[in-house]
Amino acid sequence: MSPAALLEPTTKTLPESSLSTESSPERGDVGSNRGFWDLRGVRWRTDLGVLPSSSSVDDVRRVTANTRRSYAALRRRLLIDPLIPKDGSNFPDLVMDNPLSQDPDSMWGRFFQKAELEKMVDQDLSRLYPERGSYFQTPGCQGMLRRILLLWCISHPNYGYRQGMHELLAPLLYVLQADVERLSAVRKLYEHYFTDNFDGLTFDNSDSAYTSHLKQIPQHVEGNNEIQEDQVKFNNLDELDPKIQTIISFSDAYGAEGELGIVLSEKFMEHDAYCMFDALMNGSGGAVSMASFFSPCPLNGPQNGLPPVIEASSALYQLLAIVDSSLYAHLTELGVEPQYFALRWLRVLFGREFALEDLLVIWDEILSFDNSRLNSENDLETNFEVLDSSRGAFIVALAVSMILYIRSSILATETATSCLQRLLNFPQDGNLGKLLSKAKSLVNIAIDAMRSGPPRMSNDGVHEHVKPTGFRNHSLSSDAASSGSPLSVVRDSYWEEKWRVLHKEEQKQTSPQKQGMGQSQRKGWSEKVKMRLLRTESDPSSSKAHSEKMGPSRRHVRRNLLDDLARQLGLEEETENEKVVCGNGGSEENSSIFSDPPSPVGDVNDNEHENDSEQSSVASNILVDEPEAEPESKPNPEPEPSTAADSGNAIREVDENGPGPVSNGLEEATPTKGVENEESVGKPGLNLKERIILSGKHWFWKFGKNQGDGFMEKGNDPTNSSLVGRDQKSDVASSGADVTSKEESVNQNKTCSLKNLGQSMVENLQVIESVFQQEKGETGHVDNLSKKALVDRGQMTAMSALKELRKISHILSEM
Amino acid sequence: MVLVLAIGDLHIPHRAADLPAKFKSMLVPGKIQHIICTGNLCIKEVHDYLKSLCPSLHITRGEYDEDSRYPETKTITIGQFKLGLCHGHQVVPWGDLDSLAMLQRQLDVDILVSGHTHQFKAYKHEAGVVINPGSATGAYSSITYDVNPSFVLMDIDGLRVVVYVYELIDGEVKVDKIDFKKTSTATL
Repeated sequence: MSPAALLEPTTKTLPESSLSTESSPERGDVGSNRGFWDLRGVRWRTDLGVLPSSSSVDDVRRVTANTRRSYAALRRRLLIDPLIPKDGSNFPDLVMDNPLSQDPDSMWGRFFQKAELEKMVDQDLSRLYPERGSYFQTPGCQGMLRRILLLWCISHPNYGYRQGMHELLAPLLYVLQADVERLSAVRKLYEHYFTDNFDGLTFDNSDSAYTSHLKQIPQHVEGNNEIQEDQVKFNNLDELDPKIQTIISFSDAYGAEGELGIVLSEKFMEHDAYCMFDALMNGSGGAVSMASFFSPCPLNGPQNGLPPVIEASSALYQLLAIVDSSLYAHLTELGVEPQYFALRWLRVLFGREFALEDLLVIWDEILSFDNSRLNSENDLETNFEVLDSSRGAFIVALAVSMILYIRSSILATETATSCLQRLLNFPQDGNLGKLLSKAKSLVNIAIDAMRSGPPRMSNDGVHEHVKPTGFRNHSLSSDAASSGSPLSVVRDSYWEEKWRVLHKEEQKQTSPQKQGMGQSQRKGWSEKVKMRLLRTESDPSSSKAHSEKMGPSRRHVRRNLLDDLARQLGLEEETENEKVVCGNGGSEENSSIFSDPPSPVGDVNDNEHENDSEQSSVASNILVDEPEAEPESKPNPEPEPSTAADSGNAIREVDENGPGPVSNGLEEATPTKGVENEESVGKPGLNLKERIILSGKHWFWKFGKNQGDGFMEKGNDPTNSSLVGRDQKSDVASSGADVTSKEESVNQNKTCSLKNLGQSMVENLQVIESVFQQEKGETGHVDNLSKKALVDRGQMTAMSALKELRKISHILSEM
Repeated sequence: MVLVLAIGDLHIPHRAADLPAKFKSMLVPGKIQHIICTGNLCIKEVHDYLKSLCPSLHITRGEYDEDSRYPETKTITIGQFKLGLCHGHQVVPWGDLDSLAMLQRQLDVDILVSGHTHQFKAYKHEAGVVINPGSATGAYSSITYDVNPSFVLMDIDGLRVVVYVYELIDGEVKVDKIDFKKTSTATL
């Protein structure tokens, strides 16, 4: 069972080296067992509940022996060979027990089931930790893993074998193996203590009994002087380092329960690993049982009909929303459901995200948290089963801290695919300590949030599901990309109303224009987009700043990008630029964060662009004049982010901060644009459009400052316009493109002093708003002509406002 | 734990329409590793059906088989056992143990599987084992009265083979089991 092959990998680093000393005693409940912190196997077994947390060596040994016995019995029972006739039993009824029997309970039926399981397990095992093949791919180890997994699956037929269980088991076995190796290392050093001490004395062959005790010392001297001295010094077991002492007493063949009780035993590694695995899967009666993550059906009754892993994923997102709602909003906008990545993270407890040494450290932390249920009363219900214990809360908190760790790169993504790529390729060289400390700080938040959050669990059963429903709906929606669904729908009624009003207005509009036709379609789309974006405003306040820019989805995303950590400027810009250039035709994806058909989004942008025709054209012209503007003659998809980025960042920052307080202003400002693009839809619709337009404006001059590439985009005007084919100025499209690209490029944050600038910008925008509002008031349902008229008028006013904005941007650039 | 199905003399479509329903329900793909067929299927469709149960199909030519490319005899090695396959109409007198034993020695196999008599037989003699799986459809035979549908499943495990005989008697499937052990060097 444990051939010498296991001891082969001497090159393998023992886990002690990667032990985090920070993890030890603070959280430990039992002081003495906490002291075994260089014996991971023992510590984990204690944490999992396999070993008792008492300090007595005898107790530990006794429990060890019992668990091993039970495993041996289980193995004998379940791995029986059907061919071997049972002793003394009659021949089983052959009609039932023949190999072709269809009866699943027959011996052969079970045999075939076992063969199926084994096939599945082998498939997974062959791919287990290939980089550590020196240990995990040895036949001995594989045999052990296979047997353990088979036995567990046979004894838990309702779970069966699921991919990932082997990954949970592997570190457990590894840890036990490391313990055994440590034992052998200690054994070499302190060999004379490991001799058979029948009566506390050792007997030497040549000497008589009473002198042997003293004489053995020089005889056991190794070639090393050090060891000799050590041995001379430490005559007595008690004088040894307590850790070594424990190791020795754990491995004494004559202690309690004899050999079966040797806690660090190579012979019984399989038994111990099975017990640990079983405890981990069952949760030892606690709240978090890993097995539940593999099961498709909910374990608890009526609370929620979700599979537990989905529930845990939504708990993750909820915690993220509390901690960092902008990131949460970004993820939800992209349509990244938590279970896409959380499934893998949770099911193998982050086994696939970290290297083995790091994983051991992380598991140290996870297992050190207690798994007992925090809510023992029956009337209280937690929203999320997984958060019912501190261990579960820590797992969720760790996942959240991992997401936060790669926050900047997530915010830089524009599509769900790239976002998921970032999440699923977690950087392996990360700073573990930081990750873990952050997770620890979030644990309490997690627990408190789940208790005292909107689900008022105490009294009102109704409230329980209000907020979580919001989140749950979000995470449950299968098609996150569908319009309007992914965002939190807490304030559904208000926004729903607006949306419906918008919709009605749209339907009333006729769109004879070529532009109009496309527009109305796109409008519907853009309306939806706007609605969606607006809904994000209902998110917690921190996300407000980001959701303020109710521009096209892309813009919204970009705002988040700006607001948060630095990103790859060049990459984003390039992609954006290229996309924008070709995207205006509506056939491409404008790197929209929505997985919606790109054309509508592109169309939205086009619309916006057109709406902003005058503004954008003005802006673009303004931008052209900027001293930092690079020659725009040739469309250069390669941005030069560095120079422009700074100023761009400044402006962005202002934008980011500005809109915060300006949200109301935005609302009013949008009508101006709304009038241009869309027919007067009605106030709510206008509000939406206002936002988008305003935000567009922000973007315009923001970017105007920053990126040279934005200016390049202007060079693309002709192409864009041709693609767009609108009545309105072709500038618009390109400028819109510019804006978007510029937005991409700006990444860095500026100081709050820029907020002031933002304020002034807002004022300018308000001016524009008022102008448009007047116009809006004048126009009812508009046909092509009236629209044009509006556009013209709007253009004038917009231009003036834009000039103001340009001034501001000048100021910013000079900063 | 290799499961080998020995089956033959179906005579589809001439003398029988199909396998009995109860047999057919038992024969599911995935369980059996080899099929050895004595012959007289007779048509390609039956061949295809058997192939669907298991890709490893060995078959010898019976006198009514429509595919003339099947060999007269065949030897296969499964695990520690050498199996010989022959339809049996070539060995005269039909069903005579001594003559079959002669064939077995000729082929130098531990287990000889032959048919044609449409009657299940399992003999053990000093040179080896001779198994006749009978007719799986219970097709008419001029040399046997009251033919019962039957076939044989062999479970080869190391040096031991367990022979399960499935017979359809009065509409019920009856199963019987016979153990054969092989000494390591000598034949059975």
